[in-house]
Amino acid sequence: MNRTFKHWLVATGLLALIVALLATQAGAQTAEPATLELIVGTVLDKQNQPVVDARVWLANTGHEDVLVETETQQDGRFALPIADPYAEAFQKPLTLHVERHHFEPATLDLTAEQVREIAALQSVVLPDIMLQRRVALGFWAAVGVFVLMLVLIATSKMHNTLAALLGMALVLTITYLGSLLIPDLYIFDFEHALQYIDWNVIFLIMGMMIFIAVVEGTGIFQWLAFFAYRVSGGRTWLLVLILMVITAIASAILDNVTTMLLMTPITVQIALALNMNPLALLIPEVMASNVGGISTLVGTPTNILIGSYAGISFASFLVNLTPGVLLAMAGLVLYTELIYRRQLKQASSEVSPVLLKRLEENARITQPGYLKKAGVVGLGMLLLFLFGEGFHLTPAVTAMMGATALLVWIRPNIEEMIEAVDWTTLVFFMALFIGVGAIQEVGLISAIADTIAWLVGEDLVLAMLIITWLGAVLSTVIPNIPFTAAMLPVVGYLTTTISGAENLVLFFCLSVGSAMGGNGSLIGASANLVTAGISERAGYPITYMYFLKRGFPALLITVSLAMVWLLFRFLVLG
Amino acid sequence: MSGIVCAIRGGPESQAPILRAIQLAQETGETVHFLFVVNLDFLTKTSSSRTHHLSSEMQQMGEFILLTAEDQAARQGITAQGSVRRGNVSKEIIALCQEIEADYVVLGRPRAADRPDVFDITRLETFIGQLQLQTTAQVVLAGGEEES
Repeated sequence: MNRTFKHWLVATGLLALIVALLATQAGAQTAEPATLELIVGTVLDKQNQPVVDARVWLANTGHEDVLVETETQQDGRFALPIADPYAEAFQKPLTLHVERHHFEPATLDLTAEQVREIAALQSVVLPDIMLQRRVALGFWAAVGVFVLMLVLIATSKMHNTLAALLGMALVLTITYLGSLLIPDLYIFDFEHALQYIDWNVIFLIMGMMIFIAVVEGTGIFQWLAFFAYRVSGGRTWLLVLILMVITAIASAILDNVTTMLLMTPITVQIALALNMNPLALLIPEVMASNVGGISTLVGTPTNILIGSYAGISFASFLVNLTPGVLLAMAGLVLYTELIYRRQLKQASSEVSPVLLKRLEENARITQPGYLKKAGVVGLGMLLLFLFGEGFHLTPAVTAMMGATALLVWIRPNIEEMIEAVDWTTLVFFMALFIGVGAIQEVGLISAIADTIAWLVGEDLVLAMLIITWLGAVLSTVIPNIPFTAAMLPVVGYLTTTISGAENLVLFFCLSVGSAMGGNGSLIGASANLVTAGISERAGYPITYMYFLKRGFPALLITVSLAMVWLLFRFLVLG
Repeated sequence: MSGIVCAIRGGPESQAPILRAIQLAQETGETVHFLFVVNLDFLTKTSSSRTHHLSSEMQQMGEFILLTAEDQAARQGITAQGSVRRGNVSKEIIALCQEIEADYVVLGRPRAADRPDVFDITRLETFIGQLQLQTTAQVVLAGGEEES
């Protein structure tokens, strides 16, 4: 088997796997219950959300012997199959029982007329059955594990992925071993846990990672940074502005962490050449990165989560958020130019020829061929992201198609490319989905949703303000990815209860709050930590307090400006 | 071979060791070997583990930082070389001292409120002990009054 054939084989196999997986998931979501059965109905929770996998069974009234049983589907519907409606048992009074973990059991006595209809082979459609939440030990166990996971991540006591894996393992251990001793400790089984993993998110991130792995080796970021230096012609205020714009645009296309990983070292070199403090360039850059990423579906992990959950397209993010991002960026540029005006003025106008020569060498495009091909594929991906929704092409498939096409075209060392995928992040997301699934399963998310719904009532503006600012402020102390993942069902519920929120405005508020909140503190975004790490290695540490003093006002400015846009866009323009 | 090893990480805190190394070179006529060690441990606490590419970027940044130090030395008539290595700072300083049979090694003196990832007094003393055991270099601390 020659090398070319192997590449095609790997690429085709990978693509087929993805399409099959995504198709399976899509199929599972739209599966219709059988229609031949005689007793059909729907089980809902207090928030009118379907209750999945509830056990529904029929017995004679006052008896426990199960006559027939089934489980509710994804849409909460059930259909009881009755093999022999003429059997004696079906001539007597019947009671329907509904049971599910974390809910109070419910019963429904069938009327005499309904029993007669069954005997006459007529379908009986029951009224919706409402289940009430039950707070048992499993609730507290799941909440405790989730809080532990958040604390471990927020305090950097443990690697993000390890903390998420620990959370997932604890949830499953409690379910399988703990519930043997105390049945009420049950949270959910493994099969159920897997249903909470959003494979669209996983494959979208994986596809983008492969694409980025090719782009990051081309030297384009370094070249762009040096280009900014050249264009600015020694005017440091202009240099900051161009670097911020480049970083914001790059963050909207790639991800913030990669952008800052590549921009920070070359920015430090430019600053040193100009004999200025690199932080005067790095802090504005990383803040621009956190803001710029919001305008697209793939710009931030939180947008990927939101887009997949709410079905918001790439184009919709672009149209609804870009003006707000531009407004926030304008405010951010003015703010950073103001706070770093002294450092920017102190920069040297004369650059040592030796340093300039090295800077130029370090900022060369190293792989022009790869860059050209990545540009062509990237453009194709962009078009599919924008218009693929029209023919049901999900962003995850577009990302994987683009990544595979690029790999086949440039024929890199496939092992190196696979290594370039940040598997720890993918595992983090999978474990996180299960951790969040656990608190959703036991009813914590419903309780939060109920509380917020009670607070905001029918007031859409209040809901927008609360979601945005809650996201922004909380993202400064807890990592925004788990926060966003946990808030999705809450926002989803509010979208159904608040009049005017059907246009998904609250999801856009969550996007703005959780991502711009990253500017509020050093731990608010991974890009901040990466920038601080590299900067510290160059002798310019960014402490928590240093970042907080400059970042929190930036948060207030950018979120306020973006909020103005959101209010205008969704309340005035409609 | 002989020389003065000066491990730096860039920034204002590295100025004292750089100046001290240059001064020592002027006094002894020896060559200064500036050392920058690339260490990507900070990535282990975030969700990103893409160290493979960042490593070369950090190498370039390290070379640039060393170039600024070499430039500074050259302006004072001192010959200086730069060396970027990857791995553990302590081990790489000892290795370079052994390789060039350094006579001096200049280190920055830690300050009371220094960061946890930079040598504190206790760690520095332990490290000096290791240096004296494994190399013939005399340790010079810069950034304060004392020298050992």
